[in-house]
Amino acid sequence: MKSKLVSLEDAASLIPSGSSLTIGGSIIRRSPVALIRELLHQKKSGFTVLAYPAGFTTDLLAGAGAVDRVEAVYEGLFQFGFSYNFRRGVEEGRIDIRDFSEVAMASRFRAAAAGLPFAVTDALLGTGMAEHNPEQVREIADPFSGRKLHALPAAESDFTLLHGYTADEYGNVQFPVARDADDLDPVMAKAANRLIVTVEKIVPHSEILKTPNLTYIPHTWVEAIVEVPFGAHPLSCDGYYDEDELHMEDYQRRMKEGDFASYADLYIAKPQNHAEYLAAALTPERLLQLSVR
Amino acid sequence: MTSSSNYSLNELMVVAAARELRNGDLIFVGVGTAGRAFTMACGIPIAAARLAQETHAPDLAIYWNNLLSPDLQQIPERLTQHYLTTWPTAAQLHNCSDKNDMLSKGRFDVSFDSAPQIDRYGNLNITAIGDYRHPKRRLIGALAQTDHFAYVRRPLILTDLKKRTFVEKVDFITSVGYLDGGNSRAEAGLRPGGPSRVITDKAIFGFHDESREMELLTVHESSSIEEVVSEMGFLPRISDNVSVTVAPTEHEIRLIRDVIDPRKILLVS
Repeated sequence: MKSKLVSLEDAASLIPSGSSLTIGGSIIRRSPVALIRELLHQKKSGFTVLAYPAGFTTDLLAGAGAVDRVEAVYEGLFQFGFSYNFRRGVEEGRIDIRDFSEVAMASRFRAAAAGLPFAVTDALLGTGMAEHNPEQVREIADPFSGRKLHALPAAESDFTLLHGYTADEYGNVQFPVARDADDLDPVMAKAANRLIVTVEKIVPHSEILKTPNLTYIPHTWVEAIVEVPFGAHPLSCDGYYDEDELHMEDYQRRMKEGDFASYADLYIAKPQNHAEYLAAALTPERLLQLSVR
Repeated sequence: MTSSSNYSLNELMVVAAARELRNGDLIFVGVGTAGRAFTMACGIPIAAARLAQETHAPDLAIYWNNLLSPDLQQIPERLTQHYLTTWPTAAQLHNCSDKNDMLSKGRFDVSFDSAPQIDRYGNLNITAIGDYRHPKRRLIGALAQTDHFAYVRRPLILTDLKKRTFVEKVDFITSVGYLDGGNSRAEAGLRPGGPSRVITDKAIFGFHDESREMELLTVHESSSIEEVVSEMGFLPRISDNVSVTVAPTEHEIRLIRDVIDPRKILLVS
């Protein structure tokens, strides 16, 4: 096995402006936030985002004007409210939004995972999602019964970006025994063309060997693995830390006012690496409060 | 049974919802954020499902937050990540594909849904207000609410009655109810189904068997037909025998207050 361990800066350097990105996690949990911040620090833009429920990472990209198109089932910040940057982007015609239901979007990722060109579903019959997106929602007939169905293109993207728990340097990424499974990360990993995974901790390969059944992303799928403790902050990482409610409330106060610039200056432009971000965003005391280990 | 003379509107909505649930049902409960949205999306549905379990439907099962049959004696006081991760439950489904397969396989009997726009034929909009491509207000998307109305056998709409919510025609169809009425749902290729009841803070509606128009069935004791109609952007059908919504019994109220929600986590606002 080949070591795939790289720095956060080098991982982000792999991704050119204009790429399509599948972003994992869900709304305010376990998304690769540090990697998205690094993309913005490197001034990358012009992205297409594919997500299951989109959330904070998409809102950051929208705030920076770095996303042109979003395909997802939801955009918002759950208990913290609206995704203001995203919402403004759609209302002002800067973001091309393609809505899908959960069943429909999951079927698109599963088609991509299976290497098939399209998914088949009856979830969107009669909906506005079908009416307003004839490019991606095409009526077909069941060749056996003749029944009306829709074909949806497989959710293919250039890069898939996930945040996980532990991995070895080869990219074997493992679940903890107790985890929150309300996401599509395992399917997105399988569907990836180029997969970059950030994790809370790199562990020795010998640790991975003890519980191979917990490996949900095997090394053969992974292009780059990055150790980023608190890499989902200010979101939660189940089993590691809770969402940072104070940070999120501060974020939302600024975004509601349309003030992405002050936030970006503090947390994206000034910090030259992840350690400097953590120093800017967290005190040692706050770090201990958020930790659940 | 003695009916209670002292109950809140939330308790009445819980009891009305519980009476729609049957033994053996699998119930899909969504996620709500805080305040009234939490009470509508989670609080009332969970309380109703538990009330049904404690009365006529002991074998009813609940899916909530990707957990199947979580221990409802131990509802966390806060729903931050760690409380969800460590909440005792029969099954944490492996990833959302499992839930989606359960939906499209038709395993769910009842779901609870609400929306900022609901129309005469029970179609819902949670996606955009105004023109979809240039919306006056972009909303949250679709979530599984589309899938509930496509696949769940008896979806229940749970919402407060407001003129701006109950509109003649939704701006965008996120969830297909009875589409344009009559047979239009089936003609569009959807499976049999569609919303079964609309439970509000003032009245309960069904949908007419043939025209599929929303139809006023019962009015809560605290309201009137005139008030109900004045809170709607369209005139619903009015059943020939509109009655007063059956009040909760003293037993039901005792169960809600002492057994189901003694810590007042569910019915908060």
